[in-house]
Amino acid sequence: MTERVRSLLSRRDLLRVTGAAAGLAAAGSLGLPSAARAGRRAQGEPVAFWNRDDGQVLVEPIVAAWNETHDVQIEATFIPSEQFVQKFAAAVAGGEAPDLIAVDLVYMPAFAAAGQMTDISEQARALPFFGQLSPSHMRLGTYQDKVFSLPFNADGSFLLYNKNLFRQAGLDPEAPPTTWVAIQEAAQKITAAGGGASGFYFSGSCPGCNAFTLLPYVWASGGDVLTEDGTQATLTDPSVKAMLEFVRGLWDGGQVPQAAQVDTGEDFFNAFTSGTVGMAGTGAFSIAELKGEYPDIDFGVTPLPGREGGQSSFAGGDTIAIPAGSERVEDAFAFMAWYLSDEVQIEQLAKNNGLPLRTDLIENKYSAEDPRYIVAGRAMSEGRTPYTEKYNQLFNDSGSPWLAMLQRAIFDGEVDEAIAEAQQSFTDILAG
Amino acid sequence: MAVAVDRVLTQPGRRPRIVRAQRRAAGFLFVLPAAAFIGVFFLVPLGLAAWVSLHDWPLFGATSFTGFDNFMALVRDGAFWRSLWFTTRYALLVTPPIFLLGFALAMLANARAPGVGLFRTLFFLPNVVGFGAACLLWYFMLNDQYGVINAALRRVGVLEGSLLWLAKADTALAIIIAMVVWKTAGGTMLLLLIGMQAIPEDLYQAAAVDGAGPWERLRSITLPLLKRTFALALVLSITGSYLAFDQFFILTQGGPRNATTSIVQLITNTAFSSFEVGYATTMAFALLGVLIVLSSMQLFLLRDSTQY
Repeated sequence: MTERVRSLLSRRDLLRVTGAAAGLAAAGSLGLPSAARAGRRAQGEPVAFWNRDDGQVLVEPIVAAWNETHDVQIEATFIPSEQFVQKFAAAVAGGEAPDLIAVDLVYMPAFAAAGQMTDISEQARALPFFGQLSPSHMRLGTYQDKVFSLPFNADGSFLLYNKNLFRQAGLDPEAPPTTWVAIQEAAQKITAAGGGASGFYFSGSCPGCNAFTLLPYVWASGGDVLTEDGTQATLTDPSVKAMLEFVRGLWDGGQVPQAAQVDTGEDFFNAFTSGTVGMAGTGAFSIAELKGEYPDIDFGVTPLPGREGGQSSFAGGDTIAIPAGSERVEDAFAFMAWYLSDEVQIEQLAKNNGLPLRTDLIENKYSAEDPRYIVAGRAMSEGRTPYTEKYNQLFNDSGSPWLAMLQRAIFDGEVDEAIAEAQQSFTDILAG
Repeated sequence: MAVAVDRVLTQPGRRPRIVRAQRRAAGFLFVLPAAAFIGVFFLVPLGLAAWVSLHDWPLFGATSFTGFDNFMALVRDGAFWRSLWFTTRYALLVTPPIFLLGFALAMLANARAPGVGLFRTLFFLPNVVGFGAACLLWYFMLNDQYGVINAALRRVGVLEGSLLWLAKADTALAIIIAMVVWKTAGGTMLLLLIGMQAIPEDLYQAAAVDGAGPWERLRSITLPLLKRTFALALVLSITGSYLAFDQFFILTQGGPRNATTSIVQLITNTAFSSFEVGYATTMAFALLGVLIVLSSMQLFLLRDSTQY
């Protein structure tokens, strides 16, 4: 499970090409003339469903449950997460695209804009629960007023805190911080309490992790990094600068372990499970993981706050969509509708520590047993996600201007220069 | 005698035209499998890549022909030149230590002493480790808390506290060079060792009779006769350095702030993260051009003229 979400966050969507020759060959093979031809699987054959391998634990039982109760069979294929986009692109180019894909929601605008997805507006809007589907998933799955995808799994970010360390530092474990100043004070007390503990953690060299856990501070303070339509950069917004100074303060004050600077995401979650980190941003996956694997850590979850209060979340996760040209649209959509029905959402997803994708199902008999799921569910339903076809270039890439800005501001202390540089790079990328 | 016979056999005009034609046909047949292989797996993809590089060719969706626009954009692309310069700097810095160490190890391993086979194996061993695995190994060795490198440096008193090697571009580059030297010097040693062992022993004996010391023998026999091997090893090493990917991808992800982004990493990012396959292919072509020029220069400078 950790693996699943770690790569969900610290995506390294790079094909491991070990040489320019291989790169050339790869480009060459992609270069075969391609229109978005279809996955030609006739009726009667199984519907081909591609997933990221890190979702395997979640997806396998669901597909099995479907196959037991339906004539139309679904064949799930699991692709290594970091190769998903390339493999899918190659399949599309080769006319072998599957009938269904579950893919990180941040890619959906780019896929839809490139004409790779089937327009499912009509069927989707006819669903009785259409209005209750995770808002951020639906926003990312809609392109030019057409619906191209539905939510598949959700992971909103929130703040995870270690109640043991809160107690040690003389803090009230039932009153987690709700402003930046409160985070700062709590972090100082936890670090000062000694025992090798650090107040705060973030993965300093992981672009995806920090989009997931630092952007919400900006949003919760009323700012944003992109305009609503995703066409202009707004990094000069004062809350971006405030967020950078806030994290810079934590780093400079020694509230963050030194090793965080070079963490490319490997320790995004491990740092917390070591029991020596007071607070860290994370996602819903961590609850199940902590409960199962680290019963000694008494942890709480609370929303990521804005500067003076308020809250926000990065709504991450996967969307499910039908590649353009599939001849199995009807069967594929039937699976999507079945998956999002009450029964499957509660008895398959919520029961197995997953988050339901519908706002009307966040409170259910399973979350009632562990209210931390309600915090996570709220984070998802109220969360946001940057809407841009250039998500990778702007945020997710290891060479992204987003990460460069964080590193320059937080580690080198050049906040204004970092913002100016990133604003320029964002503008160039969005224009290109 | 053998030479004379050979000359007669290959002398043009001495054989009937038909036999020559047959021989030529047979020759073509013999090279055909190799030629077909190169054609299908190198020339055709290369041609396709050339075609792709003339397009705005996204990973998904419609392509459009843009002529040489990608190449024009490349000339003005700061990220490309920074990355090319970084890769060049890396190649220049990493090659000399690989050669010095490889040569020293080859001299040692060339000695006739009991147990030398064991040392040859030991020197060569890091070369057998996969690059990815080696990088991960070093990643953990570099950890500031439990890594053995910081611990060793503290023990000998060079370091106080702990050093985050990968946090700064300079230390990251230095440690990556150290890793690559450790990893590849054995391979260079092997090449040079083979070259050394191909030098006839009687040359050394003759030199000894003439009163040449070890230094003289090294300078006048070993080094000149190793020229061809040097050229091979150098071309391999420089090419390998320009194609460096794993070490930066795994250890620094091209950071901090893109200061260690190698050219191949930039190409992969462009193709599969920015989805700009056409432009990435253009970069790959530029890199191919650079490598062709560099390899030709090396082979020219180290062309073999030494005969004894």
